[in-house]
Amino acid sequence: MDFGFIFITAITLACIYGTLAIGISITWSSLGLVNMAYGFTFSAAGFGAWYVGRLAQDLPLVADYPLLLGAIVIAAGIVTGALVGVMVCALAFIPIHDKPEFTVRGLIATLAISLIGTQVLLYMFGPRAKPLPTLFGDWKVSFGDIVITADKGGSIMASIVLLTLTLRWMTHSRRGLEIRAMMMNPHAASLVGIGVRRTGFYVMALTGGLAGLASVLLSQTYFVSPFAGLTPLIKGLSVALCGGLGSVQGAVIAAVILGFNEALTASFLGGQYVLITQFLLIIAIILVRPRGIAGILDRAREA
Amino acid sequence: MTTIWKNPHQVWHAAKANPEAPTPDWTDPTEIWRKKRTSHAKLYKVGRLRYYHKWGGHGAKLWSRLRYWPTRRRVLDIRSEYNPKTQRVEKTIVDKRPIWWMMALMALAVLPMLTPGEVANTLLGAATIFLIYSAINLCWTLVIGTAGIFSLATMAVVGAAAYAAAGTSVFWGWPWWTMPLSGAALGLVMGVIIALPAIRLDGFYYALLTLGLNELCRVYVIQSKTFGSATGGLYGADSFIPQSASQSTQLIIGYYGSFVVLLAALLLFRLVNGRRLGRILRMAPEKREAFAEAAGVDYRKARIHVFIITSIALGAIGGYYASYFRGASPSLFSFDTVLLGLAMLVIGGLGRAEGAVLGTLIVVFFDKVLIDLGALRLVIIGLIMLFVVLFLRRGLFGIKEQFRTWRDKKKSEHRSARAEKGGEMLPEEATETEDKDELYLRRFDKLTRDYLKTLVTDEVIEEHRRSPLGQHSEALERLLIYFRRQPQVDKYAITVIEPFKSYRIVALSGHRGVAPRVVEEKVYTSIHDAYHGVFMRRVQDLLES
Repeated sequence: MDFGFIFITAITLACIYGTLAIGISITWSSLGLVNMAYGFTFSAAGFGAWYVGRLAQDLPLVADYPLLLGAIVIAAGIVTGALVGVMVCALAFIPIHDKPEFTVRGLIATLAISLIGTQVLLYMFGPRAKPLPTLFGDWKVSFGDIVITADKGGSIMASIVLLTLTLRWMTHSRRGLEIRAMMMNPHAASLVGIGVRRTGFYVMALTGGLAGLASVLLSQTYFVSPFAGLTPLIKGLSVALCGGLGSVQGAVIAAVILGFNEALTASFLGGQYVLITQFLLIIAIILVRPRGIAGILDRAREA
Repeated sequence: MTTIWKNPHQVWHAAKANPEAPTPDWTDPTEIWRKKRTSHAKLYKVGRLRYYHKWGGHGAKLWSRLRYWPTRRRVLDIRSEYNPKTQRVEKTIVDKRPIWWMMALMALAVLPMLTPGEVANTLLGAATIFLIYSAINLCWTLVIGTAGIFSLATMAVVGAAAYAAAGTSVFWGWPWWTMPLSGAALGLVMGVIIALPAIRLDGFYYALLTLGLNELCRVYVIQSKTFGSATGGLYGADSFIPQSASQSTQLIIGYYGSFVVLLAALLLFRLVNGRRLGRILRMAPEKREAFAEAAGVDYRKARIHVFIITSIALGAIGGYYASYFRGASPSLFSFDTVLLGLAMLVIGGLGRAEGAVLGTLIVVFFDKVLIDLGALRLVIIGLIMLFVVLFLRRGLFGIKEQFRTWRDKKKSEHRSARAEKGGEMLPEEATETEDKDELYLRRFDKLTRDYLKTLVTDEVIEEHRRSPLGQHSEALERLLIYFRRQPQVDKYAITVIEPFKSYRIVALSGHRGVAPRVVEEKVYTSIHDAYHGVFMRRVQDLLES
């Protein structure tokens, strides 16, 4: 058994799942919205990246620098994801965020958006899966018996760099301060003059961008298709759930644990047992800590 | 604008009286009062009153009532009252839902005979699916609405039971009538396993977990060779529908079988929601659990009971499903099935039986009858779902309640906007006043003043200046009568400094032994000037009030 391979796979998966889970986690804790349209954001961002990538292939500058194409595709994915996130916010958060039973209605509204959006994608792009161009060139680095290929190394680098940037923005900027205030106590945040709706747009654009990034990175292994968003949505949800909704550190820890679990199960037991072991693990973790690994144990969000 | 008033006392040659004076036109003093008292609230023609038809009653039959055996519940909630106007007993059916249910079920029972020949197959197939899904959704609405457990694993239970039942039949050759039973047994097992985390997790943590569980089942079934990963499902199970019969007969048998399943699910809903468990859980709605627990209601146990009972029922429906379709397919576990099921629940309204059935009807109609629309039909369902979620609080069956709440809100807004300030008491002041006559006195006073203000014109002032005493025109007379009627406190009076030479205006204190206070320093040289000075002050006060 190649432990180096398992390790690298686990770290790659952990990075991508972490990106997804942090998005879900931030949305839940600042807006109180369970964003079920995250899968739709994911696949829409994939298509956006694919479309822009196809257009950009013909540019003369891109032919000279192949890495530029990767950067353009990643940027296109992030921008499309952010746009879709803003759209979801305008449809499912703005009209009902101050109405009774918002959590249930928000969940169902985002589900409806994902139902409609998936059909629209299917109509526009057809059911066939689309491949993205290679993003990170073709290279290989080896440390002893650990071999890092271009796509894995690039994914790890890109997600770590962008996640660090995002978290730094969250801790060091005015908008990030607003978002963190909303995460701690939305009611008090609105009392001190933080606009709930405006912050909603920031949060959804940010998390949509993260979904777009994860989409572009994951499409190195999977392809872009209208229904591709479901599995990442469920993985992201379970990682966020396991790490504790609303906690970034928890999401990172859970992503690492589940990434290792997935890589180990896939190589020792076989691919079809991945979900089973994953859910057994999640149920075990959640039975011990009902609000996730780093979740706050009292009622974190009442409003 | 002005008319000339002629002094009627002129014939007796009243000394110093005005023989005639210009005066404003007569206006009706009751006009303001009438305008004020007409309602400005907009009346809506729809649903303005709660209208109940009154059935005739008979005094002797007052106590003979139709009841369910062996309970003492009545079939219809009938209120009988004595109408003192007609001196008769009247009966009012308070809750007409049982009547609608009976009519709907009778329509469902005769549907196969009414379907036109060319579309009979499509329609009967869709109707059968509608019946099965209604039964599933009734159980689901018990879990989400009654028990308040936001579980999305309903289809997982149904699908697992369907696979298990199909497996017993395909591999071991068990007959069709054991399939609901084996399905129910698996439902019990699944229910217990799924209910375990429900004890510790709340709300959305549980929803997300169960969604994952559903996905787990789907992936497992798709990849498993025993459950037909190659053939797209596990088929070949025994069925209650004889294969030798013609296609229409098979459809009709399937339809009535599913109808029986729906009736059983309705009965289960009634037994769980309408009796002890439902009562307990209605005592402990979301955010009031702590109170219910303090009051000694063990709502957790009740929730788990409902969940397990429902899981058994869902398992039985799954077994029936496998027996109806002669097998099971992985589409049972797909995300779209969960989504459409949730759409069915939400469109009708969570937590009520009629909502679950109507929502299923709408979604199945779009999904199975309008197949020609292609992918558009899912978009339509999604749009309906989005509309219902964004605008309706409790689904289609909550529209009436929501409309009434909205109308009451508008009414009260209107009422508070109508209360004008100035003279009238504000609502909070009015409730605290002991003497309610005071309210009406103030109101009357306000309206009187409103009218009198219209009478103050230059002509009237000029008339008063010319002769403060004696007979006046009606306008001036009304003003003077109002001024004279004012209470003693701060009433203007004239004090004589030197008789026939100098006068001054003072205000009475209104209390015995307390001297009047001087209002102004001005000294009037004649009593007539002083009278007019007092009049002008009062007019000013009136216009300022």
